[in-house]
Amino acid sequence: MLDRRLLFVSGKGGVGKSAVAAALGIVAARRGKRVLAISMTDRAGLAAHLGVPKLTYDPLQVRPGLYAAVVDRSRALDEYLGLQLHVVRSLPTRQLSNALSVLADTAPGIREIVTMGKPIFEVWREEWDLVIVDAPALGQLQSYLAAPQTITGLVPTGAVQEQAARLESTLSDPSTSGLLLVTIPEELAVLETREAIVHIDSHRQIVIAGVIANRVLEPLGIATATVAAVPDGPPRAAGLLHAGLVEAQSTWLNSIPDDPRLPFLFGFHTPGEVAERLAELCEEFV
Amino acid sequence: MSADTQTIIVTGAGGVGKTTISAAMAMRMAGPDRRTVVMTVDPARRLADALDLHELSNEPSPVPGVDGLWASTLDASASWEGVVHRYSDPEVADRLLTNHYFRAIADRFPAAQAFAATETMSTMIESGRWDAIVVDTPPSAGGLDFFLAPSQTVDLIGGKLLHWLTGAQLPGRRFLYRFTGRPILKIADTILGGALLEDVAEFLLDLRTMYDRLAARAATIQRHQRRATTVVVTTADPAPVAEVLRFFEELTDVSVEPSGVLLNRALPVGWADAARRPIRNIPDADVRATLKENLTRWGGEARRQASAMEGIAGRYGVPLLTVPWVAEPPTAVENLTQLLDGVAGLDDLL
Repeated sequence: MLDRRLLFVSGKGGVGKSAVAAALGIVAARRGKRVLAISMTDRAGLAAHLGVPKLTYDPLQVRPGLYAAVVDRSRALDEYLGLQLHVVRSLPTRQLSNALSVLADTAPGIREIVTMGKPIFEVWREEWDLVIVDAPALGQLQSYLAAPQTITGLVPTGAVQEQAARLESTLSDPSTSGLLLVTIPEELAVLETREAIVHIDSHRQIVIAGVIANRVLEPLGIATATVAAVPDGPPRAAGLLHAGLVEAQSTWLNSIPDDPRLPFLFGFHTPGEVAERLAELCEEFV
Repeated sequence: MSADTQTIIVTGAGGVGKTTISAAMAMRMAGPDRRTVVMTVDPARRLADALDLHELSNEPSPVPGVDGLWASTLDASASWEGVVHRYSDPEVADRLLTNHYFRAIADRFPAAQAFAATETMSTMIESGRWDAIVVDTPPSAGGLDFFLAPSQTVDLIGGKLLHWLTGAQLPGRRFLYRFTGRPILKIADTILGGALLEDVAEFLLDLRTMYDRLAARAATIQRHQRRATTVVVTTADPAPVAEVLRFFEELTDVSVEPSGVLLNRALPVGWADAARRPIRNIPDADVRATLKENLTRWGGEARRQASAMEGIAGRYGVPLLTVPWVAEPPTAVENLTQLLDGVAGLDDLL
């Protein structure tokens, strides 16, 4: 999972994708890799899980070997123009990027390609062994993955089009890039994950590197009937709740690939603690 | 009549059970003398079955087995078509609805689905058909989009974009052929390898014709929102709690005041203390040890929940309601009705 150069982490909102992205970054850095963890959304999730107040566009070292950043759209657009399109220096770039930000808010694909371009540029830069992306939630992810093709359809020639083609080939190269889906064993999350798997497999924009089920409860180890038979009170009530949740989860676990599972974490208060613990657990399977 | 319509807006982060809670609230409110509609967004399959919802439609259909209850599922693109037809001239409407940029914006602009929901809610309020409306809101960062959508949509159409492209005065369509003479745009066009900017500007001009009527509409929608009762649903997990806090921080911008925070999947507060006491009434040592260990874990969760909720209620002084954690989310009509039984303070809101 960590052998690729670029790993996108996505899932339905609220399943813990930022926590898993942070945990994998921690594991990879511990193994001596030079890692960039980058959030494609402006949300505070990745920062909190890495134990820093906020992220910036310029990578910030958060622990030995692990750097973190967030994609800022207007900075990304400037970088896209300046670095990648080799715009002539004498041009008033500010005005040009104004023109393009109008486009980015209107024409399909431009905003997405600029945002998604950033982590891919970081891979091209060859500064990192691994770039882990805290990607948008599943609902929005597909328009990002489709962006290079959308652009190709929209602008038939020119530098933007060439750029899009290059992004597309990096993204779809299975030895370079992969997508990790995080889910939880509940109805909506599992159904959305399964739909995404079908969609992504058929569009071949990126290869799915794995499906991780998060917040999985361990069975109690005693029969539910035994729990039901003890006298009323908190021990019985907590036992029945646990057993009932395990049973409900097992239905949904059965309908996703049998990939690594991460347990429900009891008693963790802060996102930083959660990511640390998940990193220890991830050690076993990555 | 519409002034008498009671509106409940149910908001919160994704995955906390908003849709289920909305449906359960509507069931409590509905009755032969209280025509109630619940407007859902993307309900889970089994909940949709219970409400007899089988396709996207803004037109409510009666819920079998519950007197006085109707339900609908947000059809955002139908809402937008309605908006375009109502607030632009017929020939512009046709051009816009077939324009692929319009489709792209309606699909991707984060506030677009939220605006569709606010518009549909307002139409229902104004129809005078309902005594009560429960509105489930589209998933977004903490549910704020629902309240920001009217002004964001007007901003988008009123055109910071267009303003930059065309200058301060709103030009006629003829202007298009002059403004593309600006050198910057020529360069941009060269990079993009096509007449893309011209296409976009033409589209934005069409969109701009809706501005005045849409701005007036947005003001009406915001009045409906302020008059409604807003309930924020959350679980005690760190991520949704953080979103609730952010929601409160930013809400002051839209002058909406939530009437309550509803903690879903709540554990009995007594479990934390019970976990510290020895268990005496279970003779089998193995069973006793297992249940003790299990109660210790869940008791710790209960304590964590309590401190997370104190953080919200203490800081913002809103009533806190708790809905107990049940193993299987309720999906049948009977379970949904029971879900909110005994939730203290709820009937004051409804």
